[in-house]
Amino acid sequence: MTGGELLAEAAHHLPGARCVAEEDMVTIDVPREDWLAALSFARDRVGCDFFDWLTAVDEQDKGLAVVVHLYSIEDRQHLLVRTLVPTDDPVLPTATPLFRGAAWAERETHEMFGVVFDGHPGLAPLLLPEGFEGHPLRKDFPLAARAAQDWPGAREPGERAAPARPRRRLVPPGVPEGWPPP
Amino acid sequence: MTTQGAERPVGPVPDPPAHGDPGSAAPDQSPVGPGLAGRRDPGPAGPGLPGLDLDTGHLPPRSRGVIALLEENCTVCMLCARECPDWCIYIESHKQTVPAPDSGRPRVRNVLDRFAIDFSLCMYCGICIEVCPYDALFWSPEFGYPETGIAGLTHERDRLRDWMQTVPPPPAHDLGAPLPREAQAAGPGVGPTGQAG
Amino acid sequence: MVAVDLPLPRRQGETEAAAVPGWVRVFDAGLACCAVEVSAALRRCGAQLPGDAAVNVLVVAGTVTDKLAPLVLAAYQDLPAPRRVLSFGACSNSGGPYWDSYCVTKGADQLIPVDVYVPGCPPRPEALVHGLRLLLSAAGDRP
Repeated sequence: MTGGELLAEAAHHLPGARCVAEEDMVTIDVPREDWLAALSFARDRVGCDFFDWLTAVDEQDKGLAVVVHLYSIEDRQHLLVRTLVPTDDPVLPTATPLFRGAAWAERETHEMFGVVFDGHPGLAPLLLPEGFEGHPLRKDFPLAARAAQDWPGAREPGERAAPARPRRRLVPPGVPEGWPPP
Repeated sequence: MTTQGAERPVGPVPDPPAHGDPGSAAPDQSPVGPGLAGRRDPGPAGPGLPGLDLDTGHLPPRSRGVIALLEENCTVCMLCARECPDWCIYIESHKQTVPAPDSGRPRVRNVLDRFAIDFSLCMYCGICIEVCPYDALFWSPEFGYPETGIAGLTHERDRLRDWMQTVPPPPAHDLGAPLPREAQAAGPGVGPTGQAG
Repeated sequence: MVAVDLPLPRRQGETEAAAVPGWVRVFDAGLACCAVEVSAALRRCGAQLPGDAAVNVLVVAGTVTDKLAPLVLAAYQDLPAPRRVLSFGACSNSGGPYWDSYCVTKGADQLIPVDVYVPGCPPRPEALVHGLRLLLSAAGDRP
């Protein structure tokens, strides 16, 4: 189906969804209650038979966004299905009844972000070692090694040690403003 | 048991010779290996597979092996240390006042005390070389510098200067590539002639 | 991880007296990208089925993650004597570009004693030969 047909179908079957169509990618944002309905719409109505990946994005104040990328091989249609879960109650029904390939992706998303997938056959950690505490890909998880290590670039030219009164922003490249959090 | 990555030799597999007994080996399986027969000989793995050349002469231009420092060009601007994603460049310096001849104003310049690159951390991205505004850092294709202790992989100023002797001259400008800014500013008539340099 | 016997090529013009012993048994713990370079080196050297090499070398090539660390330790402990360890590439030397990661062991020498460190990201296949030559010449009479 074309992008326009897809948007019309989505409006009909997923009344709570917000859809955006780009060149070959359609993004569907649904509320948490419509998560499984959106995934079965994608698989059965749109014909997205290829499950590519499932992951999460820490949107901080807004919560945790869980994103799935699906693809229809016959129609060559990409689909991004997205929902938002609150950080203090990150529960979402599992996609494994619809896509069995989601099993490991949900395990990884669970250990990295803390999202709990209701009904998952075995939500054990996948990549992190035993005894690992915390959810590393959340934005408030500090990168301990960089916080503990002195940055060699913190010195001014001609200074032996870090200056008492730095004249410019002395943060390594790639580190956001105001990090590490106090 | 099959070995991953090893070509099955044609014919029966000879036993590896005992040490110090090269005469017992089959002619193409000698312990000498392929290195002596020439730079690009096929080696015992079979024709069609490149042999091993332990020297750097055959490497393509701009090969990245180790980083050399030309201290005379360094003004201790600290850009390389700041931009290095691995934090593996360690620079220490102090300021020195240089009195001016006649009645000029005395100048202050930075004097390098320590410039070290920790090659156990380095990922050879080349950001330090690209970002240096004064061309004090250079690529060298040398790759054979293993160490028995990890501290030996931190190269200090003198060792980084020694690597300068292995830095090859810059390769000829690629045809069609944009000119350096100095050549663009110099106007038309300045450009690659297809010759080196 | 596989065991292959490796003949070490000599440099051009090197005399037999100056050369190091010719054969070494390599156990390639190829954990990440460096495994490709080690594979290339083993192939170009003409690696063979294990026979009678003098020393067993565990080549740790690639990032040692915290999850895999116990297996690297077990591989070292299972290695028969005489055994050596060669750390290949920045990740197994010191953690390399992933030194700041939440799940990377900062170097194989955090787990096992390393005899030779080969720098590079990744090192050339020829650099493995340089490292093995240094390892054999530095080994001396250590058991």
